[in-house]
Amino acid sequence: MDLKIVQKLINLMERGGVHELELEDQKDGLKLRLKRGAESAPAAPVVQLMHGAGPMNMGGMAPAAAAGPAAAPAAAAPAVPQGKPITSPMVGTFYRSSSPEAEPFVAVGTKISVDQTLCIIEAMKVMNEIRAEFAGEIVQVLVENGEPVEFGQPLFLVKPH
Amino acid sequence: MFRRVLIANRGEIAQRVIRACRELGIETVAVYSAADADALYLRQADQTICIGPAASSKSYLDIPSIIAAAEVADADAIHPGYGFLSENDHFAEVCKSCKIHFIGPEPATIAMVGDKVQAREIAKKAGVPVVPGSDGKVEDEQRATALAQKIGYPIMIKAAAGGGGRGMRVARNEPSLIAGFHAARAEAEAAFGDGTVYFEKFIENPRHIEVQILADKFGTVLHLGERDCSVQRRHQKLIEESPSPSLTPELRAEICAAAVRVAHAANYTNAGTVEFLLGRDGKYYFIEVNARIQVEHTVTELVTGLDLVQQQILIAAGEKLAFGQDDVRFQGHALECRINAEDPARDFQPSPGKIDLFVPPGGPGVRLDSHCYSGYRIPSNYDSMIGKLLVHRARRDLSIRTMLRALDEFVIEGPKTTIPLHRDILSHSDFRSGDHDTGFVERYFGAHPAIPVRETR
Repeated sequence: MDLKIVQKLINLMERGGVHELELEDQKDGLKLRLKRGAESAPAAPVVQLMHGAGPMNMGGMAPAAAAGPAAAPAAAAPAVPQGKPITSPMVGTFYRSSSPEAEPFVAVGTKISVDQTLCIIEAMKVMNEIRAEFAGEIVQVLVENGEPVEFGQPLFLVKPH
Repeated sequence: MFRRVLIANRGEIAQRVIRACRELGIETVAVYSAADADALYLRQADQTICIGPAASSKSYLDIPSIIAAAEVADADAIHPGYGFLSENDHFAEVCKSCKIHFIGPEPATIAMVGDKVQAREIAKKAGVPVVPGSDGKVEDEQRATALAQKIGYPIMIKAAAGGGGRGMRVARNEPSLIAGFHAARAEAEAAFGDGTVYFEKFIENPRHIEVQILADKFGTVLHLGERDCSVQRRHQKLIEESPSPSLTPELRAEICAAAVRVAHAANYTNAGTVEFLLGRDGKYYFIEVNARIQVEHTVTELVTGLDLVQQQILIAAGEKLAFGQDDVRFQGHALECRINAEDPARDFQPSPGKIDLFVPPGGPGVRLDSHCYSGYRIPSNYDSMIGKLLVHRARRDLSIRTMLRALDEFVIEGPKTTIPLHRDILSHSDFRSGDHDTGFVERYFGAHPAIPVRETR
């Protein structure tokens, strides 16, 4: 699903005062659930997407909301994986592998060591390899392949060794 | 017309561009550094992207990050604001190669007018007077005295490697020229590792006059009158006004026409400013072209009723100027005070930190462009501007009265500000009579003697 469509939906929800919206797309096999005005952060829209949208702020809302992990799909308090976040050092497009055909550099459960390549962030046609700064085990991958990320956005949760 | 504009700047000018875009129905993408994450103006943007840490070199000056943000957000144009990348021809070129419109002049124009030597040549070609000088380095004593005879005293001796007032000295006669020439060379050699010096005529107690230009891509160049920015401290403008109290209608027409000629000669497009020094004798000299929107563009907006940032966007999108020179009407007098978080009592030391209470002034004739609010923390990483306080009244004396009233209303608790200094300046007889020059602030309000003011921001 196109990020622009998600953003338009959020804008429409804003204007119409709609707080929750669920949308199922049979063709793409995707389910989107948008919720606005969560108790903890009343101004920020909570975007939940089975695949797609990263946690960039697309609603013209408080940018501070962009930093929280937003990939947990369940609405009822999920079992939040514990770990130390690895954040993006730059703005760009997130890739989990070196080419569309290649295997992802890391996945949940991968044991990582210092300096190991975790992902690629493309900025201005330059592929920047993002390396681990500490050793551990990947607990969660927070961004989908091909999604935009901003500076400081958490990419992975890692349980340090 | 553009669909989505990315604003590659921060603070009040980012907010100013967002406002212009919203009125034009254009979506906005605001980029910000980690230090600006809490700024409220970001909420007025349709989309925000954090591009880097607090250091500007890694955020607002980082070209790859800004271009990546524009690509990620699918913006079709970038507004650079002022400062940061606004006059960086390389950035404008990168935008072009990435098929993103740069809201400003063409890269080649930025490069050309940014080079002092080339800009001077353009002005000469356009028949506009420049400050007479040696046009290159002065090699020996004999050449020095001959040149000084030709240019006429007083002479300013400048180090080629200097700048911002450093490595300058003034000679009023031949003995002081010879002594000054040798001393300046030795000094420059010691300070900059380069003893090259050149000469310029010293314009005594000048006024700083600049002309606002708008030029579309179809060869139309209009002027929007002048701004007088003679109230400066160490090359930093403090108060700007329009019209200038020191121009006669004839001189105004002449200077504005000269600015239009310079813009034509440079094939200039978009908004720009042509700066001049005006001597006490009524002679004026071209100094430079600023290829960007300036902080004080707001003064011109008040007297002309035009929205300059909207005009910039329309021009960049390839629109023709919708009005001619005769349609530009000037009404009343506008005055702007720059409210900075600086302590005038302690040599203008920056005074960043939390604003505990912020109560903006208002009422008839008052405009405030500021991104600040109660509880806002002024980051120590960037300039100290809190906002621009403007008034628009029928006459200069009335503007001054309204400004004094607005300054009294303005409450900023927390950081030290330039508000008390503005009150003193506005109450000074030299300013009231319009008899002040670029040395005025340092003469009366600073411990340091006046340095001839040249390069300003």
